[in-house]
Amino acid sequence: MNFVLKKNCPAEKRRLLSALETFARDHSLSAEARHAADLALEEHLTNISSHGSSGPEEVEVHIRVELRDGILQVEVRDDGPPFDPTTHPAPDLTLPLEQRPVGGLGIHMMRTVMDELHYRREGGSNVLVMRKRL
Amino acid sequence: MIPINSMEIRKNITNDEHELLVAGRVDGEGANQLELDVLASIRAGARVIYVNLSQANFLCSAGIRVLLQYWRQQKNAQRALLVTRPSPEAAAALSMTGFQDQLVEKI
Repeated sequence: MNFVLKKNCPAEKRRLLSALETFARDHSLSAEARHAADLALEEHLTNISSHGSSGPEEVEVHIRVELRDGILQVEVRDDGPPFDPTTHPAPDLTLPLEQRPVGGLGIHMMRTVMDELHYRREGGSNVLVMRKRL
Repeated sequence: MIPINSMEIRKNITNDEHELLVAGRVDGEGANQLELDVLASIRAGARVIYVNLSQANFLCSAGIRVLLQYWRQQKNAQRALLVTRPSPEAAAALSMTGFQDQLVEKI
């Protein structure tokens, strides 16, 4: 599945979700795998929107979802400023609620639901590859 | 049945207890709506806000941020916000972020 998200707005994201649903159905993905890809994409797109240089809605993101040799792979490519989510420190989950930072959970959730995250900077783009073994 | 890619919130009010019944997808857009509804309850003087997630099939970090932020605000005002009956998807999100034990009402 290849998808280009031209604007980070609800209508575009609904189109992406529909495409992901179709991919999951066509490949008989489990509900858990479909949900993991959905959640990881949601979190990463939120991060791209936050770290992008052109404002929260002006993004062009290329998304490729593949299933190969029992591995679900989600590749996300954007041309925003360099942003490597794999270096983000893990949150301290043992802190009481009063002391927990409000942000910083999205990357932790991506790491939790997917098995691997790989980042590279390539030709002025951020490329994040997320993999889940099925 | 609501579409898989949208969210609805119904509200039950009993005196100063407000229950928000959240159904569907609490993604970034849904979290914004949830925040507006929680704020409306706070402004209406809710002593306890129950966020019922039994029909929420998706909960991202933006939704958790709203729950945490207003849990704190209510606590500081000697009031409360609690999550009730989280769906398996919502429970998993709360658990993986370490909030299950502290945000969810114990029955």
